[in-house]
Amino acid sequence: MSSFFDSLSILILLSSFILMANKMSKSYIKTFRFQSFLIALAAGIMGIKTITEEGRFDVLVVCLLIIILKVIWIPNILSKAYAKAEYKVEKDFILNIPILILVCCTLVVFTYFSLATIEGINDGMINVQVVNSVLIGLFFMISRRKAIGQIIGFLVIENGLFVTAMFSTQGMPFIVDIGIFVDMITAVMVLGIMVFKINEKFESINIDKLSNLKG
Amino acid sequence: MGFFLIVLPVIAVLLFMLFKNSIIQHTISLLTSSLLIIIAVYLTTDVMVLGSAHHTALGGIFYIDALSIIVLDIVILIGFMASIYSVSYMETEIKHGKIDRGRLRLYYILMYAFMFTMILALTVKNMGIMWIAIEATTLASAFLVGFYNDKYSLEAAWKYVLICSVGIAIALLGIIFLHLSSIGVLENNQFLDWIALYNNAESLKSPIVKLAFIFILIGFGTKAGLAPMHTWLPDAHSQAPSPISALLSGVLLNSAMYGIIRTVAVVNRNLGSSIYTGRLLIALGILSILTAAIFILTQKDYKRLLAYSSIEHMGIIAVAMGVFTPLSVFGALLHMINHSLTKAMLFLASGNILQKYNTKQISEIKAILKLLPISGTVFLLGLFAIAGTPPFSVFASELSIMVSLFTAKKFVVGGALALLLAIIFAGIAVTLFKMFYGNNQEEELQPGETNKAGTIVIVVLFLVISISGLFIPDELKNLITQAQNIIIGA
Repeated sequence: MSSFFDSLSILILLSSFILMANKMSKSYIKTFRFQSFLIALAAGIMGIKTITEEGRFDVLVVCLLIIILKVIWIPNILSKAYAKAEYKVEKDFILNIPILILVCCTLVVFTYFSLATIEGINDGMINVQVVNSVLIGLFFMISRRKAIGQIIGFLVIENGLFVTAMFSTQGMPFIVDIGIFVDMITAVMVLGIMVFKINEKFESINIDKLSNLKG
Repeated sequence: MGFFLIVLPVIAVLLFMLFKNSIIQHTISLLTSSLLIIIAVYLTTDVMVLGSAHHTALGGIFYIDALSIIVLDIVILIGFMASIYSVSYMETEIKHGKIDRGRLRLYYILMYAFMFTMILALTVKNMGIMWIAIEATTLASAFLVGFYNDKYSLEAAWKYVLICSVGIAIALLGIIFLHLSSIGVLENNQFLDWIALYNNAESLKSPIVKLAFIFILIGFGTKAGLAPMHTWLPDAHSQAPSPISALLSGVLLNSAMYGIIRTVAVVNRNLGSSIYTGRLLIALGILSILTAAIFILTQKDYKRLLAYSSIEHMGIIAVAMGVFTPLSVFGALLHMINHSLTKAMLFLASGNILQKYNTKQISEIKAILKLLPISGTVFLLGLFAIAGTPPFSVFASELSIMVSLFTAKKFVVGGALALLLAIIFAGIAVTLFKMFYGNNQEEELQPGETNKAGTIVIVVLFLVISISGLFIPDELKNLITQAQNIIIGA
């Protein structure tokens, strides 16, 4: 069982790399959907396991929530926001893709060795290298110019956190998990509305234009 | 009784949604904030007598002790002041055509949602729910920062939401690691419970706790405005409506700092000394004060200057928490109260100035004392207070922090702090004092206060900070000592 989770965690990490290599905003959303699906799969299997072993069904509820929110609802709302806000296809990233991938590899190596020095961090069932997704998500945010890229980066960070929590501790307390989901829905709505407003005022969702406030 | 504290703002939000009349909305707002004050007084006496207040609802997640009641009282007091001030302030904004009447409802809904999230963050003992509430404060206040819907405020709001959400996500990673360190130590139903974590602190796994602390410090530090994660703060504080700036600066930063303080208590108890957390906190604190000093010297916008001053004071609190002696923790908590009240007063006074002159540029403002005799005078004296001049309260707490630094033999840090505070005083004097001189060139500006109730609020706050600089009531002293014992564990 644990080798299965290990390979899933590697796949989730790989999907972050794929995201980094994406050129267009539409493909970011697709990759995000794929990554969320992998996470839902991991949560589903873990949920079945906890039901048979401990009789708790909260992990399965969380799995359902991931499917509804992260696989279906959020990607749809983002595609809609994107379709309304931007018609032109333009270059979105600052560095070119091979360099971005190389930086991501460095991040993974760095995290691997720094986590290896900490005692007890891998005591759980699964290796927590998936925490790399958080760093890659952060790096993704600063490497893209458009607002939509930043939202996706934020969601990937959230995905990374969720998987880290699930793999290292078998899930946070249930009420905390639910609260995090509520926060996430609100965050996506707030950011989505703001993208509309920014597009209205600045006639673009290019973040480079937001540079009036300094000093 | 304490349960009403959380329910009341929710009821207020629902009522705002029902009623469209602005007079009714102002009344609801004033009524709610006065009721909150009454409940807060009741709870404070409860905590003073019993030490803590528990509630059994929802699996007993509600818990208030001396540390949370101090921050909670600040939230409710400043919320009350801001709600009185808002009435006339928002009416003037509508009259000037900056917003239309329909947006008043949105303003109140968001303001009370914001209050609700802050109260929630301070009344739960589960670190996970505390995190959720602190993240929710960002989301509730995002549209308040971008309330005027122009290019500047939207930019500030976007930066605010994005930087704070990412920062707070990093704090969640820290909380996950804290949870990981407690597995095998705590029972299933005790997970992330602060009291359980604190009582069993010695048996948590130290290497993971150390890792968790770094993430939590960076995460909540972003929200508390510690440099170098402070970049959202001056934008958000300067673009928000003035009562909201007062809430952001006086209240929100404290709530985030409260999260750091709770974690520091657990980590220091686990490691058995404060060296590890102390180094990190002092480094971030001094960096924040240094950053603030540089930007205050060259500032052209008075609301941004006040925002940088908030970064400075959060830095001072972080340094004091880093020293972690009884005197320095006492100083840090006292400084939290004093800074909040003084800064809220300054932001409210700056709102009066903004509405009179209709500009945020320091160079375009002259002769405040003639045009705004009361709020101008209070603003001038408030600047002395925030810069740390006696006899005001900020001086008292800064002095006790300074003394604690030197008695803990941290001479370099103490010297650096003294030097930077002197530079900041000079910076405020050089940049802001020209607003008070000169003659008013424009004829249209009439002398006199527009926001009468707001001016009374400012004067009351001013009296409080002047008197509490000279003497602290025994009740408050006992309460802070109680909180200090909770943190240090004496």
